[in-house]
Amino acid sequence: MPQLSLSVNARPVSADVEPRCLLSNLLREHLGLTGTHIGCDTSQCGACVVLVDGKAIKSCTMFAHQAEGCEVTTIEGLAGEGTLHPMQEAFRDHHALQCGFCTPGMIMASVALARDNPALDEAAVCKGLEGNLCRCTGYQNIIRAVLAGAKSMRGKHDV
Amino acid sequence: MEKYGIGQPVRRKEDVRFLTGKGVYIDDISRPNLVHAVILRSPHAHAKILKIDSSEAQTMPGVLAIVTGQDWEREDFAPIPTRSAVKTKISGAPLNQPPRHCLAIERARYVGEPVALIVAESSAQAQDAAESIEVDYEELEPVTDQVKALEPGAPQIWDDIEGNICLDFELGDKQATDKAFAAADHVVSLELRNNRVTAVPIETRGAIAEYDAASDSYLLHNATQNVHANRATFADVLKISPDKLHHVAPDVGGGFGAKNSGYPEPPLLLYAAKKLGRPVKWIADRNESFQGDTHGRDQASKVELALDSEGKFLALRTSTIGNLGAYCFTMGPFTPTAGSARTQGGPYDIPAMFYSAIAAFTNTMPLDPYRGAGRPEASFQIERVVELAARELGIDPVELRARNLMRADTLPRKTPMGLDVDTGDFPQLFERTLKMSDREGYAKRVQESRARGLRRGFAIAPYLECSGGMPKEFAGVTFASDGTITLSVGSQSTGMGHETSLPQILGARLGVDMDKIAYVQGDTDATPLGGGHGGSRGLEMGGSAVMTAANDIIAKARHIAAHMLNSTPDDISFANGAFTDVKTDQNIAMEDVIAASFEQGRLPSDMEPGCLDTGVTYERELITCPNGCHAAEVEVDPETGSINVERYWVVDDFGTIINPLLAEGQVMGGIAQGLGQALMENIVYDEESGQLVTGSLMDYALPRADSMPNMQLAFFEDAPTAKNPLGVKGAGEAGCCGAPPAIVNAVLDALKGDGVTHIEMPLTPEKVWRAIAGGKLSP
Ligand code: FES
Ligand code: FES
Repeated sequence: MPQLSLSVNARPVSADVEPRCLLSNLLREHLGLTGTHIGCDTSQCGACVVLVDGKAIKSCTMFAHQAEGCEVTTIEGLAGEGTLHPMQEAFRDHHALQCGFCTPGMIMASVALARDNPALDEAAVCKGLEGNLCRCTGYQNIIRAVLAGAKSMRGKHDV
Repeated sequence: MEKYGIGQPVRRKEDVRFLTGKGVYIDDISRPNLVHAVILRSPHAHAKILKIDSSEAQTMPGVLAIVTGQDWEREDFAPIPTRSAVKTKISGAPLNQPPRHCLAIERARYVGEPVALIVAESSAQAQDAAESIEVDYEELEPVTDQVKALEPGAPQIWDDIEGNICLDFELGDKQATDKAFAAADHVVSLELRNNRVTAVPIETRGAIAEYDAASDSYLLHNATQNVHANRATFADVLKISPDKLHHVAPDVGGGFGAKNSGYPEPPLLLYAAKKLGRPVKWIADRNESFQGDTHGRDQASKVELALDSEGKFLALRTSTIGNLGAYCFTMGPFTPTAGSARTQGGPYDIPAMFYSAIAAFTNTMPLDPYRGAGRPEASFQIERVVELAARELGIDPVELRARNLMRADTLPRKTPMGLDVDTGDFPQLFERTLKMSDREGYAKRVQESRARGLRRGFAIAPYLECSGGMPKEFAGVTFASDGTITLSVGSQSTGMGHETSLPQILGARLGVDMDKIAYVQGDTDATPLGGGHGGSRGLEMGGSAVMTAANDIIAKARHIAAHMLNSTPDDISFANGAFTDVKTDQNIAMEDVIAASFEQGRLPSDMEPGCLDTGVTYERELITCPNGCHAAEVEVDPETGSINVERYWVVDDFGTIINPLLAEGQVMGGIAQGLGQALMENIVYDEESGQLVTGSLMDYALPRADSMPNMQLAFFEDAPTAKNPLGVKGAGEAGCCGAPPAIVNAVLDALKGDGVTHIEMPLTPEKVWRAIAGGKLSP
């Protein structure tokens, strides 16, 4: 099986995986990073979103080997152990999660959205989260949380 | 202490786990030696299974076991029983319950019915093997629509069940209702459908089964909402004693009813785990979920309202044909019958009512309770017919509703459907909702919409529903000498936040820090019984059980406090976490009493260390009646038929609010699912072939962030119920009851100038556009 090297959550990783192995599989099965969730098989739900070189990517749509040499960040690596990233903090403060299954993908997508859009407004959040489904919250608290999280990221210069 | 008190918006304890990716859902669990299962499902809606040839598949790499319907039949396992609370037909005869086996035996009756189980070292290998199994089918004619299933000459789904009828049902006073109709000045009648939808929790179903030969017992981890009831069901199927099956639900990624049912996959996995002596895992993929998760709603109804010359409601008559799918699922027969009957008429004062229903079998995935299970249907029926009545009689729909709401001074009362409505103030909620919705500014907004070429509409939808689910709940509290407290409850959160709200109740009542309270749920070893999740029962049942346990603990602690203060229990009062001798004013904190409870020397002689540990079963006598009022303002683009739900207001009466943050979350999530049903969600079967047309997230539309209006929420807390010790009424399903009628009626209001009086849900742009065009063509 071909050898693959990349960085995951700021740590170098190498793995022997089949060419057909998806990035989501690599993360979940091979690296035990089960915070990245799988909610569909047609790239619709966004539960699997991670950052690849800073861009929000549905990890179920990408082969692991396509991430060769890339820097991948998952929900587990977003903040230091025992701390919360401002976006995670905002989701908690605004009760933007219920079952929590969509949450990792939602947060990773929101972090990228906030970094890419210095002047984020409600409409931009709705558009930016088009590819992320949540069945529990009705989205209103998610939208509030993303706006608040983006603001607090700007305050911490994480943009 | 107050910061954690009842009524405080405490942030959730479970959140840190979920926010950092440390939640443990079923697919996150692995086991040494784990093997993987795949289910081969019927591609036909109705077919005889002539032969299954798995000889090639058996020899494929990694394949460990293949189980077919014939193998299953040979093992002589029992069919999966229905647990429907309605068990009989009108005649008193038992309902027709065809045998629902875990695998189809000889005949498949819906697309997606399990035909074989394949277990292999990896799921890819199991998948490959499944694809090379050859099944010889002889296709039969299917029927997927319940109305057609009742027609003479319709395909017969069960040879021994004539006419595809599971049961018939009636409730109310037929004679009085018919009499009122005969004497009425106006009769308004509407035929409507409640469209078939499905829950689509973002986590699909899945399970891991293990067998321990030494103790001859099983362990099942399962993404379920209901470990106790399903343990009983699976044990029945496998013909084992329930105590041989330890059933655990890890973190569950949403359920909404669809994870409540007794599904065929877990018993298959348990069987395979025993046969192979290895843990067996199965995770549904999303396409499989559309085929194999229970569906909801799907009722065809005729609703008739009788009114006098003043627009006063005299009687309501509803007849429904409910679609059950190919089998009675776990609670299937209940939904279109009693589940839909109890809250007929909503919050209106209607002196006479009669509800009748027939539940029919079809070649479709079976139906089971989905968020609301009958109450959203009832709410939709009454609100649609009232809206139509207002139009036909030329009365303002707001005024017509206001005229007919049950007045607060007529409560408590029993409705003609037998529902005990104890507390509430429907007119006040109605007024408050109107006030919030800025009616003064409406005319101007209509003008502004018109200037942009859009039609604006408004509707208000008061609702009255009821709680449900298992009438008993258990709460256990154990104390450890290091100060930690463990609370175990048999109700279950699949996202509602019980890990926060239930310790919040215990902490507030005992006056201890809720952060010290560990929480356990979803484990048949942790509580002797449990009703899981369903029927908005989380706080009503789980919370009441916790409250009852807290009161028992306080009673015992009072004895210890009296002993410690050299007093008598009768002289000891308890408030704010402290016991006080009313004579001497000396006091002692609950936490000190808890610490003392571990030392024999500090206890009264008739008490022993560990004596504060408490387990109680709370039993409800009467179901509660959550109620409220929704209002929506929409814009419709007549050029495209697209709808924008622009503004949304709700006032809810859930009795006492324990945690407003969580209660609001329930309301908003419920509105989203109600909006989904009203505007976009629809399970479609092709009538001719019986194929599932909406088998993936590409064909089944779900609300997204930009589908949702800005929702303004308020709670009315002045009418707590006395039916339980917390005064709560339940919050989980209310949003699904109010949203579809509010949104659909607002759209029809926007289109009243176009002569459109009814459009079936979901109101997709195409249907709306066609309705507008059709209206223009009509005279
Ligand atoms: S798992 Fe659904 S988009 Fe990747
Ligand atoms: S919180 Fe459950 S799917 Fe979003």
